[in-house]
Amino acid sequence: MIELSALTLQIGARDLLRDVDARIAPGELVALLGPNGVGKTTLMRAVAGLHRAARGCIRLDGSDVATLTARERARRVAFVTSDDVLFDALRVRDVVTIGRYPYHSWWNWRASDADAEAVDRALADVDATSLAERRFATLSSGERQRAWIALGLAQCTPILLLDEPTSHLDVRIAHEILSLLRRLTRDGKTIVCVLHDLNDAAAYADRIALLGEGRLLALDAPDRVLASDLLERAYGLGMERVRLGDGRIRVFPRDRARP
Amino acid sequence: MNAKVAGLSVVAVVAAAASLLVGGTWLAPHTVFGALLHPRLSNDVTTIVWRLRLPRVCIAAVVGGVLAVAGALLQGMLRNPLVDPYLTGVSAGAAAAIAIAIVIGVAAPALPAIGFVAGLATALLVAALARRGTSIDANRLILAGVSLSALFSAVIVLVLVRAQSSGYASAIVAWLAGSMAGRGWHDLALALPYIVLGLVLAAICAAPLDALRVGDMRARTVGVDVDRAQWTILAASALLAAASVTLAGVVGFIGLIVPHIGRRAVGSDARALLPACFLIGAAICTLADAVCRSIVAPAELPIGVLLAFVGVPAFLYLYLHDERMT
Repeated sequence: MIELSALTLQIGARDLLRDVDARIAPGELVALLGPNGVGKTTLMRAVAGLHRAARGCIRLDGSDVATLTARERARRVAFVTSDDVLFDALRVRDVVTIGRYPYHSWWNWRASDADAEAVDRALADVDATSLAERRFATLSSGERQRAWIALGLAQCTPILLLDEPTSHLDVRIAHEILSLLRRLTRDGKTIVCVLHDLNDAAAYADRIALLGEGRLLALDAPDRVLASDLLERAYGLGMERVRLGDGRIRVFPRDRARP
Repeated sequence: MNAKVAGLSVVAVVAAAASLLVGGTWLAPHTVFGALLHPRLSNDVTTIVWRLRLPRVCIAAVVGGVLAVAGALLQGMLRNPLVDPYLTGVSAGAAAAIAIAIVIGVAAPALPAIGFVAGLATALLVAALARRGTSIDANRLILAGVSLSALFSAVIVLVLVRAQSSGYASAIVAWLAGSMAGRGWHDLALALPYIVLGLVLAAICAAPLDALRVGDMRARTVGVDVDRAQWTILAASALLAAASVTLAGVVGFIGLIVPHIGRRAVGSDARALLPACFLIGAAICTLADAVCRSIVAPAELPIGVLLAFVGVPAFLYLYLHDERMT
């Protein structure tokens, strides 16, 4: 469960997002949308406890994130980013095992059976068991993304945040990743995922959170968000809407170049 | 214990034992063994072993070990395989202070302490310059370390030019070239508390260092207090490098190359890498010191010079051919 109350986030002295109120239930997949620079990643960082709120409160399963220690936080929320920073020739298993850090104190170095089990399960969940002994540097973009998600899953947290997990991926691999996230919600995991593709968000998410104009414009069912004029306000761009045979809506930017 | 680390322990012990045999006079293994068992006997062999060679071997092992650990800490923290423990300006600051102290006539026994304090002060200054908010900026750290090292090198050159006429130049060069000549148990005992503290801090940093391999941001998301880890790593590496300077002057390449050898041997898991680096560094430094003591006996070759001759080709080989390096 993620609860945001009157949350204001700042970059320097500038308000980036103001008065955000939201409640995301266990087992829910929420797609976070909005134009570049609106504060999506900052909001995710704040929920992960990596960016301090200027005002308001973020609660994870009832606990104020600001009062949690770094290890306590990492046992409640995992944050998967897409940057490929890596030192030395790590195997995929080495990378995923780093997700077990919050379950160890500095004097207790030995990996437990629970660690091995969590790593194996995380690799299996993202269908990467066969990649476990591969060097990370030899993986394709999609395989890397799965390995990073496995690292987050190895943390065994009830909440999983992902920042653009489908960027730079082809349509098939993006579909696999989003289907994987959909599956993970069945175990009660709360997932919030930054996406740029509006139709992917509509197809896979339970709800869409739309950021724009320095605030949360909407947190609602995909069709209601896509049908409203909030997209135009958020992106400053006209949208065409197409209703599919099953009633669902798909949106496309209006092509100003064509008559 | 990791089997490879256990194997490296054997290598380090064998290297130390071998270096007890060589020097100005060759001693047979059974003679050295007998002297080690009977330290109170008053004969030449016991004196050579207990008063000259054993403290020297211990100091060489400690210097090599701690420099290698300091190098592994900084390379891991900065995710940069080209970093060495003197990046924080410890050696340049210490060497400049010692050079000035020699020229103004400070007594020789006070020089290690002056070097230690100046080395740590320089590391503090570099850390202060590298600070961004509560954390350390890697680029600023490298820039500040390189800049201050260059500044202190200029100070050393200036002092050397002035010292040529007064005859102090050879004493300064001896510090710069690295040497353990004349060091004994007393010097080791003085440096030991700082070395133990540095190694304890290094052990505390091992798990965070592992997480830092996937970047600062990811390390934070898995619960690492990255700011605290960075400061602890910096403190550990500065203490270890400063303590080694007081024992042996400026000994190059160990802190740069041994972490590469360690990663090849046991991988980059800090919990195995740090002990492995200590053992490899200790083995290399004791063997190198033994060669320095015996190759031009009764004179001695500066260990820094020998390690540079061996270290440069070894480093180039590792850098150009080691596919494990990033």
